[in-house]
Amino acid sequence: MDKNDFLAKYRAGTMTRREFKKALAAFGIGVVSVPLVHKVVRAADLPLLLGWGGYDEEGFHQQFISKFGDPPLFSAFGDEEEAFAKIRAGFQPDATMICSYKVPHWAAAGVIQPIDTSRLPNFADSIEMLTNVPGTIIDGERYWVCQDWGQTSILYRHDLVELEEESWGLMWDERYSGRLAMIDSLIDGVMVAAIYGGAEDPFDMTDEEVVMTKDLLKEQLPLLRYYTNSMTDIENSLASGELVAAVAWNEAYAALLGEEVPVSWMQPKEGAMTWTCGLVLMSGAEDVDGAYEIIDSLLSPSAGVYEMSEWGYGHANKKAFEMIDTKDLLRVGLPEDPNTLLNSGIFQKPIQNEPELQTMFEEVKAGF
Amino acid sequence: MTEHAKVTVGVAAEPERLGLRVWVRALFLRSEQARGYALLSPTLIYMFLVLALPLGLLVTFSFWTQNYLDFDRSFTFTNYIMFFQKPIYPALLWKSIKMSGAVTLATVILAYPMAYFLAFRVKRAKMTWLILITVPFWTSYLLRVFAWKIILGYEGVINSGLKSIGLLENSLEFLLYNPFAVVITLAHAWAAFAILPIYVSLEKIDRSLLEAATDLGDGPMMRFLRVTLPLSSPGVIAASLFVFIPTVGDYVTPSLVGGTTGIMIGNIIQSMFGKANNWPMGGAIAVISMLSIALLICAFLWLIQRTKRLV
Repeated sequence: MDKNDFLAKYRAGTMTRREFKKALAAFGIGVVSVPLVHKVVRAADLPLLLGWGGYDEEGFHQQFISKFGDPPLFSAFGDEEEAFAKIRAGFQPDATMICSYKVPHWAAAGVIQPIDTSRLPNFADSIEMLTNVPGTIIDGERYWVCQDWGQTSILYRHDLVELEEESWGLMWDERYSGRLAMIDSLIDGVMVAAIYGGAEDPFDMTDEEVVMTKDLLKEQLPLLRYYTNSMTDIENSLASGELVAAVAWNEAYAALLGEEVPVSWMQPKEGAMTWTCGLVLMSGAEDVDGAYEIIDSLLSPSAGVYEMSEWGYGHANKKAFEMIDTKDLLRVGLPEDPNTLLNSGIFQKPIQNEPELQTMFEEVKAGF
Repeated sequence: MTEHAKVTVGVAAEPERLGLRVWVRALFLRSEQARGYALLSPTLIYMFLVLALPLGLLVTFSFWTQNYLDFDRSFTFTNYIMFFQKPIYPALLWKSIKMSGAVTLATVILAYPMAYFLAFRVKRAKMTWLILITVPFWTSYLLRVFAWKIILGYEGVINSGLKSIGLLENSLEFLLYNPFAVVITLAHAWAAFAILPIYVSLEKIDRSLLEAATDLGDGPMMRFLRVTLPLSSPGVIAASLFVFIPTVGDYVTPSLVGGTTGIMIGNIIQSMFGKANNWPMGGAIAVISMLSIALLICAFLWLIQRTKRLV
């Protein structure tokens, strides 16, 4: 029965029940079988990468794509605590993106396995100081390789903010009540308060310092428009003027500069936070070879050039720095010599008493 | 004849098994209940596996404790005591109940006229109207929440619309990231669950009762209050329950449009099972929330029964 026949019969009401059911069945089978067509079936053979939203952009995976024709499978998380909870609940990626300060904790929980760097040709080109980030080599075994690095600091609209001095205090400035936003995580949220409050070691606080941090966070809450993990939210809000300042990663700075929004990247007197993030191989990986392919591809110079020019994060590969135009580096606020930035500011380290801090943070966010 | 013989031989060979089968079959046919359960069994098994079992698990580990990574399986009331010791949990539960109450009220008030129109005014193509009402539900729940983010946002539809016609100079900031935004979004997201039951109860009302009321001198207003509204109350009650129960525990909507002030109990439960790595505490909060909601619903139904008797 052709389409017009069908409609005519339907309108005239002469269609039999059997004919109608046949049509419905055909439609149903069609809809249900759409996901089964070739591409997805093939993709099931590919390894799975778990990472921050956005790292599925194809620019990161050129080497992988040239070998396998498609980018690896990708699943996104908002922050590593969320990823950790997901993995603990049974999710099994092959490789996961985490920052260096998380490594001891993940290794202790037994969810990651040592990496054999001889299987990663691109690892040899890593910037020297990124190959021995504290906490990532445990009992002589390397559990993590660095992919990228950057800063956590305040991104602000210099046309809307009157700055007396460059300080984290801007995030507590009542003049900008309702026009500030924070990152929703321990390392980039709670630690900001700890640094601003002058904790001796923000990553290993005494009980008094935790109380001080909590008070600061409580004081800050009514001034905030929202907590988020999405740089897209922050970029949109800063561009529209809904926010005047937010704690952000320097990717947001590069993105807004590209849109010619009048923003500045602060170097607070208390110190901006420097972070190094990278990749781990999961204990439960079903496709270990595939995981190595993903990791090596992310460490490749082409991924490095893409990440630095499009995202404004520093990359671990020395060759990428040779390949990229210095102008492009300066445009997104990266130094020519990576060591300048890596040696400045406060280096993110493993957080002690994480569970208590997380519970405290949840209470603060709920208004207590 | 030969066939008959064969059967007899078969029976003789396995008398016991056959006897048992016949006996079970007889029992089955005699008992209405057994047949009923057999008919229900696919659903029952399914419900047991995906509802009763996880619920039992939830209750079980709400009596455990968790030391970050490891469960301590000894029985304890710690989590329940903790719930009432810390002001945050009861207060948050109370806030969620109030917000859901507001959502329910808003949804029912907005849904009633729609259902009324559908039941009394629409004469032709009723099916089309009903389908039109469900159209927003063809997209994902998350997309609908995002749509509201776009409508209420700082540079959103409402703000930029009002600005472009000159009614507004600066964007209204109270539209998004607060409890108000959560209530609006939820009220829309659950609208169909309110419209449909109210529509059904209105549709069932005997039109001659309305005529009788008019004959006896009631105006349109009195007729509505004395005939239509009381007769549609089952629909309204069902709608209220459909909306209230699921919205108390919602966490996606508050986390997307609630900002720093619109947080609900669901967000805490979610973070206990996620970031905070404290499943037992999350379980205890969930169990207490469920019990509180159940008690509230019972009180609500009891109150309705009473008012009905008084009327």
